[in-house]
Amino acid sequence: MNWTKLLFYLLLLSVLTLGVFFYRWIFANLVYAMVFSYILDPFVSWLERRRIPRWLSVVGVYLVIIGLLAWMTSRFLPDLVKQGNYLFDLYASGKHLSGQYIVNIPFVNGIYTFMQNLDSQIPGLTLAPKMVELLDSANESLASIPKLLMDNYQNILSTLSLIATIPLLSFFMLKDKYKLRKAALELSTNRYFELCIILLRKFDTTVGTFLRAMLFEVIVVGFMASIAFGIVGIKNPVLIGATAGVANIIPYFGPFMGGALAAFTVLLNGGPIIMIVYAALAMYIVQVIDNNIIYPVVVGGTISMHPLLVLLTVIAGGWYGGILWMLISVPLVYITYSIMKVLYINLRDFRII
Amino acid sequence: MLKLILGWLKSLFHKADKNAYLKEISIFRKLDSFELYLLNNFMHHRSFKAGELLFDKDYPLEMIFFIESGEIEVLGKAHPSGRSVLKKNQWIGIMDMYHENIRSSSARAITPVEANAISRKDFVDLMDNNPHMGVKILSGICESFSDYIFQICADASSITKGNTNS
Repeated sequence: MNWTKLLFYLLLLSVLTLGVFFYRWIFANLVYAMVFSYILDPFVSWLERRRIPRWLSVVGVYLVIIGLLAWMTSRFLPDLVKQGNYLFDLYASGKHLSGQYIVNIPFVNGIYTFMQNLDSQIPGLTLAPKMVELLDSANESLASIPKLLMDNYQNILSTLSLIATIPLLSFFMLKDKYKLRKAALELSTNRYFELCIILLRKFDTTVGTFLRAMLFEVIVVGFMASIAFGIVGIKNPVLIGATAGVANIIPYFGPFMGGALAAFTVLLNGGPIIMIVYAALAMYIVQVIDNNIIYPVVVGGTISMHPLLVLLTVIAGGWYGGILWMLISVPLVYITYSIMKVLYINLRDFRII
Repeated sequence: MLKLILGWLKSLFHKADKNAYLKEISIFRKLDSFELYLLNNFMHHRSFKAGELLFDKDYPLEMIFFIESGEIEVLGKAHPSGRSVLKKNQWIGIMDMYHENIRSSSARAITPVEANAISRKDFVDLMDNNPHMGVKILSGICESFSDYIFQICADASSITKGNTNS
């Protein structure tokens, strides 16, 4: 056994472990910056092909994004803030959400009356008061959101400052994309070099295409949902539409979340129950367009998983880590699956296994 | 005098093109500095020891190798004799690239080899995305293939003559 070699590998392993330990706090930021870079890369490459230096292409794309954000802020932010404040006040006041208020809403009142009937028929059963209690406790939880935000302002500020580093990290990832790729591939030995290139490209293509397709779908669904909710007369259509667009990323459950939010807003506003039907209909039409035109054309080509597997993955993601994992579980499983598949095929073809 | 000073000042600000080494390869001779920069983004430098295998027959075809220094022995059907030796500024993999997805030959370094490698798919994408550059490279490839075919014909006729004389 070559002891010098073994010692070197041990030293390398220790340094790597220490590195991972030291940088563990910024891994999430690196992942976010990577996502950001993947979305912007085609625009940067397009400019680069027009003989604009890469660093200037990145700066140009950033300037366009800043311009767009500034325009959107001036155009939509006042509306969004107004709509957000309205919902926030509504939740915080607790006035509209008291159990006694909610059970007077016609649709809920039907259920409440049914429970009261059951209570009167079955001695000892107290379903109706329990329902009011449950609604009251839900109301209290919602009303505590502003306090929760105030109590955790330091954490929120540090999260915001971390978010601000993402464009900076992304700038270097975009500018030095080829250098980083070359540096990563230089680590591979000649035996595994071609295999590494194949895997890197597979990862690049799958992640890049999927992320860009998803972003496009979010924007289009958010836009369509805002228009649809606006047409049927639901309050705060931009905010609810935008939320529905983001929620739509979650297969199967996402569209229901958007619809549920719209229905909830109708209930809070004390609007007629028929508005809930209109909201559901609006969301249904958006879904029909999304499922039959947008998804198959834009996202469909990037992921080919059996619907049952998608459903199971989303449920498992939800159990594992809530809504965030419901969002990322399907792409994560698909990327892992495709990389493992390519790895297996190539390990066999290169006669490594 | 002024001309000399201007020339000196120019030489101070003029950076040497670090991608100019690619121009030594015949198929890239017509590329300008910017196109060489684009190409270099996808090039990977590799070193092989004498006797090391670059690739074996029936391996998936992924990389095209451009030899910077050293010699490579290629064993396969691309040459009538079944064996050829490639030297500085020659390449390997382009012919297979237009033929099939697996290697039709195997290659081994005879001496220590320094080579630049580009992925076949990156190469094709680069030509697709930059058609003007693609035409220059393809025209270079055609010229080289034409030379190669003439050389093979000359070799074949000399072998035939040799057989007849003997």
